[in-house]
Amino acid sequence: MNETPLWASESFWKKMAIWVTAGSFLILVVLTMDSLSKTNAGSKRVPAYTVINKKIDYQYDKTLHKSMPIIGENEFLFGKEYTEEEARQWVDLGKKTTQAKNCMNCHTLLGNGAYYAPDLTKAWLDKGWISRDMREDMMVKFLMDPESNARTYGSNRKMPNLDITEQEAKGIIAFLKWMSSIDTNGFPYNFKTIEAEE
Amino acid sequence: MNTTGSNGVMQNAAAVYEKSRASFNNFKAWVQLDSTHLSDGRQLAVKYFTVAVILFFAQILFGLLAATQFIFPGFLYEILDFNVNRMIHINAMIVWMLFGFIGSVYWFLEDESGAEIVGLKLGNIAFWVFTGAVTLVVLVYLLVQIGPGKDSSLWFINEGREYIEAPRWADIGIVVVILIFFYNVVATFSKGKWSGIAGVLTLDLVALAGLYLAGMFYMTNITHEQYWWWWVIHLWVEATWEVLVGVIMAWSLMKLLGVRRKIVQTWLYIEVALMFGSGILGLGHHYFWIGTPEYWLTVGGFFSALEPIPLVAMVVHAVYDAGTHAFKNGNHPALAWIIAQAFGNFFGAGIWGFMHTLPQINIFTHGTQWSASHGHLAFFGAYATINIAFFYLAIQQWRGNVWMGGGSQNAWRWKWALGLLNGGVLGMTIALLIAGYEQSFIERAVEGSTWGGYFTAQNHPSFQHAMGWRLFFGCMTLTGFILLVWDLLTIGKGETRKAPAIIEN
Amino acid sequence: MIEPVALEDFFITFFSSALIILAGASYALLFAWSKVNPNFRIKIAAYISYAILIISVAELTQAAQFQGYWLIISFVMAIGYFFAPIGIWHLCVKTHADQDLIKIKEDI
Ligand code: HEM
Ligand code: HEM
Ligand SMILES: [Fe+2]
Repeated sequence: MNETPLWASESFWKKMAIWVTAGSFLILVVLTMDSLSKTNAGSKRVPAYTVINKKIDYQYDKTLHKSMPIIGENEFLFGKEYTEEEARQWVDLGKKTTQAKNCMNCHTLLGNGAYYAPDLTKAWLDKGWISRDMREDMMVKFLMDPESNARTYGSNRKMPNLDITEQEAKGIIAFLKWMSSIDTNGFPYNFKTIEAEE
Repeated sequence: MNTTGSNGVMQNAAAVYEKSRASFNNFKAWVQLDSTHLSDGRQLAVKYFTVAVILFFAQILFGLLAATQFIFPGFLYEILDFNVNRMIHINAMIVWMLFGFIGSVYWFLEDESGAEIVGLKLGNIAFWVFTGAVTLVVLVYLLVQIGPGKDSSLWFINEGREYIEAPRWADIGIVVVILIFFYNVVATFSKGKWSGIAGVLTLDLVALAGLYLAGMFYMTNITHEQYWWWWVIHLWVEATWEVLVGVIMAWSLMKLLGVRRKIVQTWLYIEVALMFGSGILGLGHHYFWIGTPEYWLTVGGFFSALEPIPLVAMVVHAVYDAGTHAFKNGNHPALAWIIAQAFGNFFGAGIWGFMHTLPQINIFTHGTQWSASHGHLAFFGAYATINIAFFYLAIQQWRGNVWMGGGSQNAWRWKWALGLLNGGVLGMTIALLIAGYEQSFIERAVEGSTWGGYFTAQNHPSFQHAMGWRLFFGCMTLTGFILLVWDLLTIGKGETRKAPAIIEN
Repeated sequence: MIEPVALEDFFITFFSSALIILAGASYALLFAWSKVNPNFRIKIAAYISYAILIISVAELTQAAQFQGYWLIISFVMAIGYFFAPIGIWHLCVKTHADQDLIKIKEDI
């Protein structure tokens, strides 16, 4: 057994490595272009930022076997209808603020981040805000002064004060509302929204 | 300010400076390390290793602070909040591992290329720039922490994106430093000789640096943002870093065990094919729930089911080599840590990864302590271990290639450090596994991931106990680390026997 | 389309997944060992490992409610894990084909 067959030779595996890598990468690039175009803000999966003017819900769809965001009739945020550009600015301010305040190193967003505080994917729809009428107000107050408005559910874990201004708080809320409308393939599972009947 | 006052300050400063210089000299006299044993390139490598060890300490320290806050939420509240501690914990990890990898490459660059490092001076400048920048970034993390919701915060404080939090200016700095490193690698191989190892290394570094660029942009659309963010994180740790370790391993196998170059390189190519073949599209396991199309469930599920295969192949090959090579090895700690790498990678990435990678179960484990369990074992098992092995290789040469095989003095130290570090991380992993299991059960499945459900799971006794055990095993990890540093500083001191030379044939 | 794992099947899902990889690896190792050391018992142990792997794949297929094209994963695992170790073994042998013994020189 003194010669190396082709399939065990260095040159064969060198070529294999190159072709497999190039092939996989090419497929990834094609899938990336497809995915990005299907998830532009304003696509079916990722709604336009003006979705903050609408009522949003998240319900189990029997035929699809998963929960889906439901976008309903008008439900203005802070009592005002925003244009395309205004809505984008609000969401952008909110998104930027979540990064500048380092939210992701306590919370998860779309399930990614840290595990010290609740997931924010559907935070806008959470029952914790008690009712739709109280929600916006409660959220602004909480974000601006989490210490005094803490609801720790008996855990003693409180969000720190992050010097969030009122403008930034509103931006965050717009961002959270928009994020809750993204089609996340049914994650989180079995989530009962603030809209659901008891 | 009056003159006497500033004089006093000056005198004080001078006294402090004198004192620290004296203790530094004492320390140097005590460790008895003689840098003339090392080539210039290797002297640069050990600088990188030194900073890596310091950052490893920072990682463990801030991990312990964060772990304590799980149990006592009031601890350092609004002074060093959980997000600050955690950010430093994971950032220090990424950076110390990068320092370790750069050091390892500088370590073997001259040996592999047969030429002296071309841009040694440039490499040294880059090292100091990199180290200075990291210090500055950490100081800003600690002292400034957060900023207003403006671009300037992302440019100068932090970008708020897990693992790659470094502010934008530092991102650009990192790219420049990596380019200098890359230049040194390519120019040195060009001056000396190229090899299969050199080729894979070069292409891998291109990919590694290129991927970093994908994580440097701000986007309003969170789906797009997380899409690119995973390009960096996943394609780093499950593709380019794995291959980089493959390169480092290939060289070590030649030098430590005397395996022939042709075999080592063939296996390197096999690993690249298997690793990239499964890992690149395995990226899909992060695209299940971030808004991306449904086909990712299939792509991610299928390819990440293949990801353990290269790890199995590596274990089999390692056993084959061990069985057929009646080797004699003069560096037991390094070899032990390399074996720990093979197992750690297999368990942390292969088994722990596969257990939660299928979307049918990931919908429940996603974003729970389950991920943390896997993350700890995988990062430690795959990357901390190989770096520690290189620290031992380096210290052996630094002492003048002394014997570090069987019958060494104080061998208990490296053995206990090995046991405590691995046992500590494994203990934390199991504790987090229990916490993650409970969390995916109660929070995700039963309560549907509401805020109330989250806290129900956090308050559950099994979760709280798990957090206690995690802290306990974290302290064990710290003990192991302290022992490791002590051992690295003293091993081989006073050893007069030389290590046997291993000849590649 | 996926059907999430049912609550009561969580444990079996994690357990069988882990066992697939573990059994796959030990089958591969034992197979390699039985080639180095032609012992009947090692060979039997290798096939027992493979049997455990098959059972685990079946368990996972049920627990994770694979249907339609998802079943491909089960088949690929069952068949792939049978042949992969054999392939890896042959690769080991052939890549080491013209290897001489390693020379170790004591001291310099
Ligand atoms: C050395 C290699 C690996 C390292 C260092 C590693 C590390 C990590 C880390 C740190 C995370 C958590 C990310 C976060 O913060 O959200 C993660 C997530 C994940 N890893 Fe790995 N991993 C490795 C290999 C693998 C492999 C081989 C698999 C699959 C077989 C895998 C499957 C996963 C999955 C599915 C997640 C997502 C968890 C979630 O849903 O949140 N990993 N990995
Ligand atoms: C003293 C030892 C350690 C302690 C106490 C510790 C503690 C922690 C804590 C509290 C977190 C935050 C988890 C959360 O968000 O809930 C964390 C995250 C993390 N740690 Fe550690 N850690 C330690 C050592 C290590 C080591 C040695 C490594 C790897 C080499 C490591 C890698 C990670 C990673 C990758 C994450 C992010 C996980 C994820 O997001 O899924 N840690 N650690
Ligand atoms: Fe991954």
